[in-house]
Amino acid sequence: MVNMDLYNQTETVNELLARYGVKFGIYKDQTFKEQLFPFDTIPRIITNQEFLYLEKGLKQRVLALNYFINDIYSEKKIVKDNVVPEEFVYASSGYLPRCEGVCPPKGIYAHISGIDLVQGKDGEWYILEDNLRVPSGASYPMIAREFCRRSSPKTFKKHHIDDNRNYADMLRKTMDYVNTGGHTVILTPGRYNAAYFEHSYLAEKTGAHLVTGSELTVENDHLYYIDYTGKKEPVGAVYRRISDEYLDPMSFNEESVIGIPHIYDIFRKGNVALLNAPGNGVADDKGIYYFVPKMIRYYLDEEPVLKNAPTYVPYYKDDMAYVLEHFDNLVLKDVAEAGGYGVVFGNSMSKEQKADFIQLLKKEPRRFIAQEVIDFVDIDIFDEGKVVPRKADLRAFVLMADEPMVWRSGLTRFSRNPKSFIVNSSQGGGFKDTWVLSQ
Amino acid sequence: MGIISVENSDRLFWLGRYSERVYTTISLFKKSFDAMIDFDEHQYEEFCRRLDIPCIYESKDDFIRRYCFDGENPNSIYANLQRAYDNAIVLREEIGSETLAYIQLAVYEMNRAVQSEAPLVPLQKVQDNLVAFWGQADDSIEDQLVRNDIKIGKRVERLDLYARLQMNETAMTREIHRLAGRIENTSLHYSKTVLKKLEEAVEKMDYREIVTEVEALVEG
Repeated sequence: MVNMDLYNQTETVNELLARYGVKFGIYKDQTFKEQLFPFDTIPRIITNQEFLYLEKGLKQRVLALNYFINDIYSEKKIVKDNVVPEEFVYASSGYLPRCEGVCPPKGIYAHISGIDLVQGKDGEWYILEDNLRVPSGASYPMIAREFCRRSSPKTFKKHHIDDNRNYADMLRKTMDYVNTGGHTVILTPGRYNAAYFEHSYLAEKTGAHLVTGSELTVENDHLYYIDYTGKKEPVGAVYRRISDEYLDPMSFNEESVIGIPHIYDIFRKGNVALLNAPGNGVADDKGIYYFVPKMIRYYLDEEPVLKNAPTYVPYYKDDMAYVLEHFDNLVLKDVAEAGGYGVVFGNSMSKEQKADFIQLLKKEPRRFIAQEVIDFVDIDIFDEGKVVPRKADLRAFVLMADEPMVWRSGLTRFSRNPKSFIVNSSQGGGFKDTWVLSQ
Repeated sequence: MGIISVENSDRLFWLGRYSERVYTTISLFKKSFDAMIDFDEHQYEEFCRRLDIPCIYESKDDFIRRYCFDGENPNSIYANLQRAYDNAIVLREEIGSETLAYIQLAVYEMNRAVQSEAPLVPLQKVQDNLVAFWGQADDSIEDQLVRNDIKIGKRVERLDLYARLQMNETAMTREIHRLAGRIENTSLHYSKTVLKKLEEAVEKMDYREIVTEVEALVEG
C-alpha cells in the first residue's frame, strides 16, 4: 500500500506533534528533559482478518490474567493445583500481601493492559510482555492519527482504516463501569513523570480531572477532590498513573509524598475504584509471563490463541541447563526491570561479563528469564529520506469493562538503531501509527 | 461550570500574569533595542529603572543577551516565558491542547530568538503566539472560571507593569475597570477591601500605591 502523500507529510506531522507538546520525559545525568517522540508516517498495517485473530487472543489473555490475579488474592487454586509454583507468586515484586482477600469493584484488577507483541518472519505473532500496572503509550498514535488525517486527508479517504480516536471513549467507559459514585480523576505523579503528556492528554480527552495526590483527601471512608472553595467533591474512580508502592503512604511506601493517605483502606471497602487495581503487578512479572498459557488453559479451558516467545525459566533445573548450553543464542531479562532496561543479549557479552552473569544467574535464578531471540519482521521507516528496515514491536491495548475491549490500533515502536532490537522511547526509539483495516 | 482545585486556580492566575509580563516586556524591549542600535547605548539603564529591576548589565550587548535570553536571570523575558510554560503544561485538561499549543509555540520562537542576530523578528512571533493564546483561551475554554482566572492574572500584571511604567490615566482606568468587572467571577481568593483601595489609588493616579495594592489583591 503506497501512501506517498502521507509519507511526504512526515515533517508536517512531526511539526504538529511538536506544536501540541507531544513529548515524553527522560532523566539523563540526573536532569529531567522533555523530548519529542520521533514519529514515522509509514504505518504498521494490520488487516481486519489478522486483527480479529489478535483480538481473540488478547481478550482471552487479559481475561485469564484477571482470573489469575483474583485467584491469587483469594483462593489460590492455581497454586494449590501446582500450575504456578508458589515461589513465583510470592517472590514477585508485584505481589502485595496487603491485597489478600480484597475484591476490587466489579472484580477487575487489570482494567487497562498494554500487551507487547512482535511478529515473526513466519507471520506468527508472539507475546513479549504483559504490562498491567501503568502501561502507557495509547495517546501517541491517537494524536498522531489526528495530525496524519489533517496532513493527508486523501490517504484516509482512499483507504478504509478504522478510526482510533475512540480510545478516550473506551477509557471513559472503562472508568465509568467501575466508578463507585462521584467524579473520575486521573492521578499523576506530576509534570516530571516520563508519561506526563499522556496523563494530561487523556484527562483532556476523557473529561476526567487530572489531579495530584495533594488535591485528594480521604475522609469518612470516602475519597474527595478539594475544589478552590474548599468544598469536597466525591470521587468514585481513580485512573492512577503512579505505581503501587507510592499510592498510599499508610499502606505501602511510607516515604511516598505523591500518594493519598488511606486511599487503599477505602478501596478495600469498595468505596472507590482504582484503575488498575493495586497488586495486579503480580501478573505482569516477567517470571509469571511464562505461565500465562497455562493460566489460559486452567481458567478458560481453552488453548491459547497467541503464543509466548519461547521462554526458559532458570529456576527450573532443565531450563537452567538449556540456558547455560545455549547462552549465546538467548536474550536474558531481569524480571524486576522495565522500559528496555535489564535486557541483555547473550552474544553481546564479553567472556568476563558472561562469567559474571552466569554466576549471578545461578545465585538468583528466580530473578531472570531467558528467551529465544525471535527474528521478528522488520518494518520500513524513513531515515534521512531513505526507506530502511528496522525492528518494531506492537503494544496492543486491552480495556476491561463489562467485557474486554481491544483498541483497533496500537502503539508501534521501532528501533532507530539498525543493529538494535530495543524499541523503547527511553532508549531512543520512535513510534508509528497502527492501522487496522476495516475491510 | 467544572470544579477547579486551588492549585489549578493559582496556576491559571500565574499563567495569565506571566504571559502578560512576557508580552509587555517584549514591547518595551523592542523600543529600547531600537534606541540602542544607533542612538542611546545606555538606554537599558532607564529600562531597568522604569521596570524597577536591578540593572546588573555591563553593556547594551550584555543587556540584550541576559535580559532577553538568560534563563538563569529571574528577571529575563526567557525566564518569565518559561514560568508561563511551567504553569500551562500542567493545565492541559483545563485549557485544552489547542490553547496550550500557543504557549508551546511561543517557547519555540523564543528559542529561535536566542540564536538570532536580529532577535526582534522571532520575538515578534513570541508576541503573536501570546495574542493567539489569549484569543484561543477566550474562544475555546468553556469554563468561565478558567477563562476569568487567566484574564484576571493578565489584568493584575498589566496594572502592575503600567503603574511601574507610569502609563497615562486613560490606560490605567481602562485596566482597573476590566479587572474590577471580572474578578468576582473567578475561583481566586481576593480581598474586596484591597480592590477598593486599588480603585482609589488609580483614581488618584498614585503609582506607588497601585503597585502595593495590586500585589496584595490576590491571596496566594
